[in-house]
Amino acid sequence: MNVNATDNALMASVGAGEVQKLAVLFERHHRGLFRYFVSMNRNRELSEDLVQDVFFRMLRYRASYDAQQSFTAWMYQIARNASVDSAQKRRGEVMCIDEFTDHKADPAAGPEESAVRSQDLKLLRQALDRLPADKREILVLSRFQGMKYEELAAVLGCEVGTVKVRVYRAMRALEQAYLIISGEKTA
Amino acid sequence: MNCDEARLILPEYLSESLSQAQDLAFASHLASCDACRAETERLGSLWRGLALLPGTLPEPGAQVRDRFYESLAAYRHGLESARGGWREKLSLLWPRQPAWQMAISFALLVLGVGLGYELRPAKQEVQPDVAQLRGEVSNMRQMVALSLMQQQSAGERLRGVNWAYRVESSDTEVLSALLDTVNNDPSVNVRESAVEALHRFGSSPVTRTAIVQSIRKQTSPLVQIALIDLLVDLKVSDAAPELNKLVSDDTIDSSVRDRAKWALGKILQ
Repeated sequence: MNVNATDNALMASVGAGEVQKLAVLFERHHRGLFRYFVSMNRNRELSEDLVQDVFFRMLRYRASYDAQQSFTAWMYQIARNASVDSAQKRRGEVMCIDEFTDHKADPAAGPEESAVRSQDLKLLRQALDRLPADKREILVLSRFQGMKYEELAAVLGCEVGTVKVRVYRAMRALEQAYLIISGEKTA
Repeated sequence: MNCDEARLILPEYLSESLSQAQDLAFASHLASCDACRAETERLGSLWRGLALLPGTLPEPGAQVRDRFYESLAAYRHGLESARGGWREKLSLLWPRQPAWQMAISFALLVLGVGLGYELRPAKQEVQPDVAQLRGEVSNMRQMVALSLMQQQSAGERLRGVNWAYRVESSDTEVLSALLDTVNNDPSVNVRESAVEALHRFGSSPVTRTAIVQSIRKQTSPLVQIALIDLLVDLKVSDAAPELNKLVSDDTIDSSVRDRAKWALGKILQ
């Protein structure tokens, strides 16, 4: 099996019936998907279930994949749908929100610098969590998953120009949230 | 470029994805606009911080991988069973009239009960579809091992090597990937673990020859010693000439030569 093939070529093969090749895509993307879900819902268990759901949906809808289309954009469209469906099913349930604070210190930084950076990142994390879901999502997709504006436009179903405006607005909102949280901490 | 235009491309500037012309235009605007320069600095700091946040997130549990491969195996199995298409062929033979349908159903029921009684097995045997499912799971394990051994992160490749313990010892694809790892992986830890995993494939003459050939290719004495120990464990008596050469080669690390000497004693016992 060629494990170096591109994502698009692998998914096209899965669509043509070589479903075992989904394993390579799983190895490449399940962590990124998990990070996306956990950033959006802050729940590890639910995020793990959603990762399974996305790969199962890829199998179910494999025939609909168009190899000309970005695989990453297609996968995150499925991920968003899975997330929406799951939220509808869980409507009314009380969700357990996990705390993730185990940031690994940068070995290149000194202890003081590392502590300051760790504290800054904690505030930034909290600021990101306070953003409305649409703003948080666009920052997670562009910054955590490294998506380009064209891919973001395909995932979010809008024009590239709109994506640019939305990323800028999300950054401004993040700055506001960060300043408010920093003020709360020092007050 | 005015302030509104600059704001629109600010995130692209921060992610260094502007064209050269746009980059120059943006920089020249910043040089003349204090407000945009200050905003770029503030948002730039947050932008860089965002890139570090994934490191604060948890990793998915190991069961995510197991569940995925089980589901994929079951799906493949189901897919292959359905490809037979026997249902479609059978449905063409099914009569339209209810009277005939009832008559055939009753006849089949009687036939089924009779045959079931006559052919009941003396003891429970493994069902062929269960055996096939096991085969699928085995293929999946091979795929996990091969995929992980190709990853960029040394931790992932190490996990791939550990998956090699779960495949059949006759799996030549995984053996070949392990040998490649032993000879070419940049991480000493991964190479050492791959040497250990080769133990499982020790009955193959390919493995035994490859271990002997690999000793000289190694740059780390630790891996060389691990390979020599493996030769002893597998009792590869054919390795004696190569071990003799190592013992008398001054360019080889002294601890490796000492180990080769010890190994010679063990192998020729």
